[in-house]
Amino acid sequence: MISKRAFDVEFNVNNQEFMIAGKLRPQNEAEIEGLLQEIDKAAAQVRGTFFLNVKRLAYLNSIAFRALGRLIADLAKRRFDMQFVIVTSGVLGWPTRKFSSIAQQSFNVSIAEYDKDFYPGQSFLEDGGFIPILRTQTRLTWRHERGILPKHGLRAGMEIADICCGIGDFAMLMNREFSPARLLALDHSRSSLDYARKVAAEFGMTDIEYVHGDASGIMIDDNSFDFVTCRHSLQIFDRPELIVRELFRICKPGGRVYVTNEKISQCFGEPRGESITAAYAEVADLFAHFKMDLEFGPKSRRALADAGFDDIIIDSFTVANTDGKPEEFAEMVTAWEDVFINEMCRDRGDAPERVAMIQRGLQDHMKAALHPSGYAGWPVWAASGRKPS
Amino acid sequence: MCSERTGAIIEVSMRINDFSSEWMNCDRVSTFMARLVSQKSVDPMFHANLFSTALNELLEVVFFNHGPQGSFTCRVGRVGDVETIEIELPYDEKTLNFYTDVLKTLDRPDVEELYQASLFEAGQVDARLGLLELAVDYKAKMSVLVAADQLTLRAEIALGWVQ
Repeated sequence: MISKRAFDVEFNVNNQEFMIAGKLRPQNEAEIEGLLQEIDKAAAQVRGTFFLNVKRLAYLNSIAFRALGRLIADLAKRRFDMQFVIVTSGVLGWPTRKFSSIAQQSFNVSIAEYDKDFYPGQSFLEDGGFIPILRTQTRLTWRHERGILPKHGLRAGMEIADICCGIGDFAMLMNREFSPARLLALDHSRSSLDYARKVAAEFGMTDIEYVHGDASGIMIDDNSFDFVTCRHSLQIFDRPELIVRELFRICKPGGRVYVTNEKISQCFGEPRGESITAAYAEVADLFAHFKMDLEFGPKSRRALADAGFDDIIIDSFTVANTDGKPEEFAEMVTAWEDVFINEMCRDRGDAPERVAMIQRGLQDHMKAALHPSGYAGWPVWAASGRKPS
Repeated sequence: MCSERTGAIIEVSMRINDFSSEWMNCDRVSTFMARLVSQKSVDPMFHANLFSTALNELLEVVFFNHGPQGSFTCRVGRVGDVETIEIELPYDEKTLNFYTDVLKTLDRPDVEELYQASLFEAGQVDARLGLLELAVDYKAKMSVLVAADQLTLRAEIALGWVQ
C-alpha cells in the first residue's frame, strides 16, 4: 500500500488486479503521473485480463477521470490482445455510469459492477422475501448474543458499526441495550434498509445511521469504530477475506470485530434425527452451489487470525426450541424452507427426489421443534478479535 | 442570505484570494457542505458523496476562473427534490466571457459529443470540462446572474434520479 496521499493503490499480480481506493482530486494531470505510470507498469505484467478495481474509489474529479480514461483507452489500443475490466461498485451513484463512457471507446474494455457480478447468491438475500427469515433469526439469537456480547468487548457508549445489518433489527437491539455513542448500520440490500428505516422510525429510534454500502469496499475512513459487528455474512460471500479486511480497516486500534456464522450441517433434532441431519447436509451443498459457505462457523477463528486480529475469542451457542416458544423456532425453519425449496433448489434445477428429501428433513426439523418432548437446534459460532494497537 | 428561491441551507464565504490560494479548498468546501446538507437524507453517505462530487466540479472551475479580487460565497440549498448551488465570485471581462460562452455551449444539441471529445481528445484539459460534466452526466441546469461587482454561477441538480 502507498500512503501519504489521499488515495491508496495495490497491485495483486495473482488476481491481475490493480486497485485504487480513496480520493482522487488532483489539480492537474501531472499530479497523478506517478499513479498512471504504476497502472501502466502493472498492465505490462499481465496477460489475458487486467482488472482495474475502483470500487472503493469514493471521489474522482474530472481531471483525474480524463487522465485515467485516456490511459485505459491507450492501453486498450496498444494491448489489443488483452481485455480490460473496470470493476466498479453500485453503492455510489456515479462510478458505473461514468466509467461506462471509457468502455464505449474500446472494444476490449468492459465494466463489471462488483455487487451484481461477483456475489452469486446475492439475488436470494436481497429479495424482500428474505426479511421474515432475518427477523425471526435475530429474535432467536439475541437471547444468546445479548449475554455474550459484553464478553466480546461491547460496552455502553461505544462507537459501533453493524456491517451487513440486514433489516437492522440487531442494530436496534444493540442501540436499546448498549446505548452507543454512535451506531452506523450498513447493508447492500436497499429493500432491507427501507424496512430497517421504517421499523426504526416506528420505534422512534432516530439515532441509527442506516447506510447503503458494500461490505467488501466500505466507504468509511480507517480506524473509525470501537466495535464492529458482522453477523451471518462472511458465510454468504465467496471471498470472505475481503470483508474481514474491511472490518479490520474500519475498526479502531484496540477495538474489536465480532462475527457470527453457522455450520448448517450441524442443525439437529429428535425425533427423526437421521432425516434432519441428511437434509441439512444437502442444504450445505445447496449453498455451496451458489458459492456460499454455510459451514463457515468454526472457520471464523482462523479468518480473524489471518486478517491480523489478536486476542481472539470464539464461542458457540445453540438456538433451540426450548429457548422460548417452540413455535418461533418452527417459524424460522418454515422461512428457511420457503427460500431453500422454492427458490434455491428450483434455481439449481434439482431433481424432484432431491427436493423432496430436503423438504422432508426441514419439515421433520419443525416437527421435532413442536413435539412435546422433542429437541431441535441450530448451532451458531460467535467470534471476535482485537485489532492490535 | 437565505432565500425561498435557493432554499438555502448553508453558505461559506471567504475572500476569493484565500479560496484560490489552495487547491484543496475545493475538496474541503465540497466535502464539508455535502455532509451538512445530506444529514437528513435517507442515505446520508450516498447523498453526500454524490453532492460533493458535483459541487467539487463547480468549485474547481471557479478556482481557475474568477476575477482578481473580491469575495467568494458558496451557498447550497434545496427546493423540492432539486439541489441548488450558487457561487458568487468577483469577475472581470475575461471571466464573464468564459462563463457566458460555456453556458451557450451547454445549450448546444451536440453537448454530449463535446463532453466526450473533451475527455478523450489529446491536448490540454478543456477549462470547460467540469461544467460539461455537470450538464451531461448530472443533467444540471446552469445559469449566470451578473451584478455590478459579483457574478453568480447557479446550478440546479436533481440528484434523486441517480438513486
